[in-house]
Amino acid sequence: MIGKRASGGLIVLAALSLTTPAASADSGVRITPNTFGAIRARAIGPAIMSGRVAAVAAVPGNQLTLWVGAASGGVWKSVNGGLTFKPVFDEHTQSIGALAIDPRNPKIVWVGTGESWVRNSVSVGDGVYRTNDGGETWEHVGLEDTEHIARIVASPVDSDTAWVCATGHLWNSNEQRGVFKTTDGGKTWKKVLYVDENTGCSDLAADPQEPGILYAGMWQFRRSPSFFTSGGPGSGLYRSTDGGETWKRLTDGLPKGELGRIAVAVAPSRPSTVYAVVESKDTALYRSDDLGERWEKRSTSAIVQDRPFYFAGLAVDPNDFNTVYKASWSLGVSEDGGRTFTGTGGSVHSDVHAIWIDPTDSHRIFIGTDGGAYLSTDRGNRWLHMRNLPISQPYHVSVDNAVPYRVYTGLQDNGSWMAPSRADGGIGPCDWKMVGFGDGFWAFADPSDGNVIYAEYQGGNILRVARDTGEAKEIKPYAREGETKLRFNWNTPVAFSPNHPGTLYIGAQYLFRSRDRGDSWERISPDLTTNDPARQRQEEAGGLTIDNSTAENNTTIFTISESPLDDQLIWAGTDDGNLQLTEDGGIHWRNVAPNVPGLDGRTWVSSVQASIHDRKTAYVSFDGHRHGDMAPHVYRTTDLGATWEPLAPNGLEGYVHVIKEDPKRSSLLFAGTEHGLYISLDGGAHWVRFKGNLPPVPVRDMTIQEREGDLVLATHGRGIYIIDDLTPIRALTPETIDSPVALLPARPAEMPIAGVSWPFTGDDEFVGDNPREEAVITYWLKRRHLFGDLKVEIYGQDGTLITTIPGSKRVGINRVAWSMRLPPPKVPPATSLVPAMRGPRILEGTYKVKLIKGKRNVEGTVKLVADPRSPHSAEDRAVQQKTALDLYHDLGRLTYLIDAISDARDQAAARSGTARPKRLRRRLNTARDHLENLRRELVATKKGAITGEEKLREKLGELYGAVNRYDGRPTKSQLQRKTILEGQLETAERRFETFAGGELSALSASLKKAGLEPITVLSQETWNKRQEARGGGGAEPLASPGALPLVVF
Amino acid sequence: MFRKTVLFALALTMLSGLASAMTLDEIVAKAVEARGGRDALLAVKTVKITGKVHMPNGMEAPLVWEWKRPNKLRSEVTIQGMKLVQAFDGTTAWMIMPFRGNTDPQEMPKEQAQRMEEQADFDGPFLDGATKGYKLELIGKVDEEGTEAYKIKVTNKFGDVTYYYLDTDYFLPFKEEGKRTIRGQEIEFESSIGDYKKVGGLLIPFSTESKAKGSQQGQSVTFDKVVLNVNLDDSLFAKPAPKPTPAPATAEGK
Repeated sequence: MIGKRASGGLIVLAALSLTTPAASADSGVRITPNTFGAIRARAIGPAIMSGRVAAVAAVPGNQLTLWVGAASGGVWKSVNGGLTFKPVFDEHTQSIGALAIDPRNPKIVWVGTGESWVRNSVSVGDGVYRTNDGGETWEHVGLEDTEHIARIVASPVDSDTAWVCATGHLWNSNEQRGVFKTTDGGKTWKKVLYVDENTGCSDLAADPQEPGILYAGMWQFRRSPSFFTSGGPGSGLYRSTDGGETWKRLTDGLPKGELGRIAVAVAPSRPSTVYAVVESKDTALYRSDDLGERWEKRSTSAIVQDRPFYFAGLAVDPNDFNTVYKASWSLGVSEDGGRTFTGTGGSVHSDVHAIWIDPTDSHRIFIGTDGGAYLSTDRGNRWLHMRNLPISQPYHVSVDNAVPYRVYTGLQDNGSWMAPSRADGGIGPCDWKMVGFGDGFWAFADPSDGNVIYAEYQGGNILRVARDTGEAKEIKPYAREGETKLRFNWNTPVAFSPNHPGTLYIGAQYLFRSRDRGDSWERISPDLTTNDPARQRQEEAGGLTIDNSTAENNTTIFTISESPLDDQLIWAGTDDGNLQLTEDGGIHWRNVAPNVPGLDGRTWVSSVQASIHDRKTAYVSFDGHRHGDMAPHVYRTTDLGATWEPLAPNGLEGYVHVIKEDPKRSSLLFAGTEHGLYISLDGGAHWVRFKGNLPPVPVRDMTIQEREGDLVLATHGRGIYIIDDLTPIRALTPETIDSPVALLPARPAEMPIAGVSWPFTGDDEFVGDNPREEAVITYWLKRRHLFGDLKVEIYGQDGTLITTIPGSKRVGINRVAWSMRLPPPKVPPATSLVPAMRGPRILEGTYKVKLIKGKRNVEGTVKLVADPRSPHSAEDRAVQQKTALDLYHDLGRLTYLIDAISDARDQAAARSGTARPKRLRRRLNTARDHLENLRRELVATKKGAITGEEKLREKLGELYGAVNRYDGRPTKSQLQRKTILEGQLETAERRFETFAGGELSALSASLKKAGLEPITVLSQETWNKRQEARGGGGAEPLASPGALPLVVF
Repeated sequence: MFRKTVLFALALTMLSGLASAMTLDEIVAKAVEARGGRDALLAVKTVKITGKVHMPNGMEAPLVWEWKRPNKLRSEVTIQGMKLVQAFDGTTAWMIMPFRGNTDPQEMPKEQAQRMEEQADFDGPFLDGATKGYKLELIGKVDEEGTEAYKIKVTNKFGDVTYYYLDTDYFLPFKEEGKRTIRGQEIEFESSIGDYKKVGGLLIPFSTESKAKGSQQGQSVTFDKVVLNVNLDDSLFAKPAPKPTPAPATAEGK
C-alpha cells in the first residue's frame, strides 16, 4: 500500500489552473470583515529597537506585573517581570496616553487613549477604557472626543472614582478637554476643570495622603501642518482641595506672563512637597513645600528646559522627597531637592517620556522612551531593555527581489533597517540589520545594483549605503548659489522609477532626479508647492521654546509616482495641497488639485499612485487631520486629473495615509488609514477593515512584492506585517462569494530548504513568523460547516490518494496546509524514537486537490515547485527522493517483519501453557525464545534514554533521517550504507521465512495433532489491512499530556 | 400579497424576538436536544473512538480514545509503534511515555490530572452541569467569525473558564476557547469543532482543530470510527501495577 501511495504521488498532473478573474470593476462584491476569513497578516518586527512608549505602569511591590502603553502600538502586559509581553488591547485604538492601575485592586486598570507627547506624527485616541479583569476585557467608558489624554489618576479610596487629564485636540479647538471626574466607574463624567477650547490638561498629580488634593497643569498648545505653538494665556498650574470639584490657580513664585506645558509631581514621602516643571520664556523646575501655595525656582538645567512639549515626565522618589527624576533626552535626576541635575547612566534610547518608581523599592525604575521600555534595579545606572515589544513605528516600507525577498523600512527615531521576509527559525533580532540612522523614513535596495541601499533620514537627508561594508555616503541635493535652502519635508519623499532601474527621485519644493545613484541631481520641476511664506515659519516654531527639528517644514513635495506605463508621466503631491503632474518628464507641470471635489485645495496629499493598469488612471489620498479633519479622502481619476471620483467613505475609517492598486486585479484596492488596513474588491465602492491578526494600527505605507504576491505593511506602532499571497483575495469574484463552497487558487508552493537552526536564546526576544512552509490550499465557504465531512484530499494523476487533510470550517476564506510529504514511515516499536517523524518529500509538479464538503466535491490543483535557491539538479533530487523512498519502504518492511515475529512469538507463548506433552511445550518455548532473540537482533530493547543501542531499526531510521533531511544527492557512504542495511534486512526476512516454513510449520502440525490451534504467521496482506485501518505511522510525542482538548460531548 | 408579506414580516419579528429572549436554560436544553436528547445521551455507557491526530509538517499518529461512564478515560496515541497512554480511572490520572526507553506508568502532576479529569467527564457541562460543579453563564448572542452564535461561559469545578459558541440554528458547539493554567503559566487555546455525524442517534463531531489562541498552526484530531456501548473493562483505565523487577539470575540458572 505504501508503494502505491508513493508512486501515485510522483506523477505530475497537467496544469488545471483555476481561472483568475478579469480585472474588471467588480461591482456588487459584497464583502464583510469575515470575507477574508483565515487570511492572516504575520508580524515580523522589528522589535530589537522597540518603539515609542508613552506610558508605563506597575503594581507597587509586585516585581512581575508591568504595563506598557505604546505611542501607537496598543497596551501590553507582562506577568513575568518584562520577560514576555502580551498585547491586551488589540481590538481598540492603539494610541495610548495614560495608564492607571487601581491602587486598591490591580485587576482594575484605566487606559486613556491618545498619546499626549504631541509630536508631528502623533496618533489620536478615542477616550477612556477600563478593565475589571486585568486586561481580559475592556469597556469603553467615554470621553471619546478628547483625542489625547496625558494622565489618569485612580482614587486610592474608591475604585469608581478617577480623574482624567485630557489634553484635547492638537490640531483644532474642542471643548472636551481639561480635567474630568467620574464617581461611577466611568458611566458619567463631570468636567471639573476647564479653561477654554484651546487649553487642555498636560499633567495631573494627586496627594497620596489627602486624596482630595489634586494638582493640574493646564496647557494651551496647537499644531498646524507648518507650525507648533506651546504656550498661551490659557496655561497655568491649578490645585483642588475638594477632590476636583473646585480649583484655584497657583501663581505665587511661578513665572508671570505666558506659560507653556506644565508637569507636576507630589513627593509621596512628604506630600506637602510638590515639584513642577513650568515652561515659560525661562523654563524651570519649581518646588513648593506648602502644598503648592508658594513656589521656589530651583533649576534651569538643560535637562529641565529641553523640549517641554515632548519631555514632561516628572517623578519624585517615593521614599525621598529630595530626589526627583525628570524625563528628557535621557533620564535626569536631582538628589538635592531639584537644585542640581545630572543624567542617569546606562545604555538607554534617547527621549524619555514615562517614569514609574516602585514605592516599595526606589531602586526599581521603569521608563518609556522612543526606543521602548526599560527597567532598572539600581536607580537608573543600568537598564534592562524589553526586547519583546514589537511596537516600532515604520513610516515607509519597500522590498527587493532577493530570495527570500528583503524588507526595508525607516522607523520613528530608530533609523532604517532591513530583514529577510523568511529566516530559519523565524525572523528574530539578529535577522534585522541597521542600514541608516536618525529618524528613518524611506529605505530601498537599488534594483540596478545589489550592493546599494538608500536610507533617508529626517529633513531630506539621504544616505547611499554599501551593503557589504556598511559605508554610507550623504547624497542629498543642495540649493543653487544665491538660493535659500531647499525645503524638505520631515518625511521627504524618495521614489524609484519603475521604468528605469537605478533612476531615483527626491522631492523638496522642487522635484529632483538622479541617474547616477545620487552623485548628481537634476532639478526637473519648478517649485511645485504654493510657496506660501505663511507656511514657512518653521524657524519660529515651538512657541515659548523654539523647536525647529524640520518637523514643521511645509510647502514641500510629499509624494511622487512615475507611471509604470509611461516614464514621462510623473505625479507629485505636496503637503500644502497641490497635486501636480507632468507628461513630458518634467518640462511642463500642471496642478490638478482644484479639480478634486469636496476639498479646499489646501489639503495635504498623503499619497499618489499612478495606475499599473491604465496610463490615465491614478489614485490619490488626501489627509486633512492636521486641520482637524479626521475623515478619509480617497479619489481616482481616469483622465489624468481632469475629473476625480471620490472612493470614500463606505466603510473606510480614519484619515488616509496611502492607497495602492493591486498589480494583478485593478478592482482590488488597499488603503492604509490611521485605524488600520482597508480592502476594497470593487474599485473603492465598498471597503472593509482587514482584521486577520492585524490590530487597528496606523498603516502608513505598504508595498506589494510582485513575485510572491505579498502585501507588506508599514504599521506605525506595530512594525512590519506581511499578508502572504494575495492570489485567493484576487480570485474573490461576486460568483465565488455567492457560491456555498469554492476552491481558490494560490501561488505555487515552494518546498523550502530547511536551514540549520537550533536557538535556545530564552524567551525575551520577539521572533516574527515565517510564511507557511507547507503548500496552502485555500477555499471559500459561504456558511460555517457543521455536518458531515469537510476534508481535502490530494491525488496523483493516476487517481491514487496521497493524503487527506482535515478541513477548516469558518465563514469566508479557509486555509489548510499540506506538508508536501508522504505520511511518516512505519517504524517498529522499540525503546526509543528514530529520526523518522516526517515522510519523504513529494516531487515537484501539479497535484489534484479534491475538497470534500459533505456530498459536494470541488476539484482544483496545487502546484509544488523547488525552493528557488535550491542548488540541486532535478536528477540529484530524484536520486534523493528514490533513496528516501526506498528506506521508507525498508522501514515498512522491517515493521511488518517485527510484527510478524512478535505475533508468532506470542502465539507460541500462548500455546505453551496448555500444551501437552512436555516435549511439545519445550518446543514451543524454544520457538518463542528463538523468535524473541531474532527480534532482539533487529530492534533496540535496552531500557533507558541513552543506551546507545543500535540494531537494524535504529540504523535504518538514522539513515532515513539523514537522507530525508537533505534535498540533494545522498553521499556515496549513505548509498553504500543503504545497500548493506538492505542486505541485513533481507537476511532477517529470510531467517524468519526459513524458521516459519521449517520449525514453525512443523510445530503447527504437532499442535494440530495435539488438538491445539496451529501457529498462523501474520501475512503481509493482513498486516497491510490492519495498518490501513490504523492510519498514519509516526509522529512526534505530544508535548504535554492532557493538552489535547477532547471534544466529543 | 401585501397581507402575506406583512404577516411574514411580523412572524419574522416575533421569531427573532423569541430568539433573542432565549434564556440560558432554554439554550442548554436545545443543545442537549441537538446532540440526541437527554435519554439517548444517558443511554450511552461507553464510547470507543479510533482516529488520527494531525500535526504540522505532515506528522500524524493513530489514536484510540475510550470513555466509560461516569468519568473514566483512556487515550492512546501510537508513535513509531510505541503507545503514549494517558488515562484517568475516576480518581487517578496516569500516563506512559515510552519514547525514552521507559514504559512504567507514571502518575500525572495535579494540574495535568485536572485536565484529564475535566476531559473524562462523560457528558460535559451541558448535561446536568450544575451537579458536576460547572457554572454556566450566557454571555449573549455574538457574531463569531461570521457565524451567529450563543456564547456561553463555562467555569468548571477547578475554576477554569471555557467559552462555548453554539450556532443559533442548530445549537451545536462550533468553537471553544479558554485558558488553562499550568504551573502559573496561562495557556490560551481555541478549538474549531465540526463534521458532526450521527452515531446511534447522537450527533458527534468527527473533527476538532485546536491551537494556541492566535497562532498560525495547530493540531487536528479526526475520528474514523465511533462505537457506542462497546465492552470496556475497568482495568483499561486503572493505572497498571509497576512491573516487578526481574529477579537477578541465580548461579544455578534454570
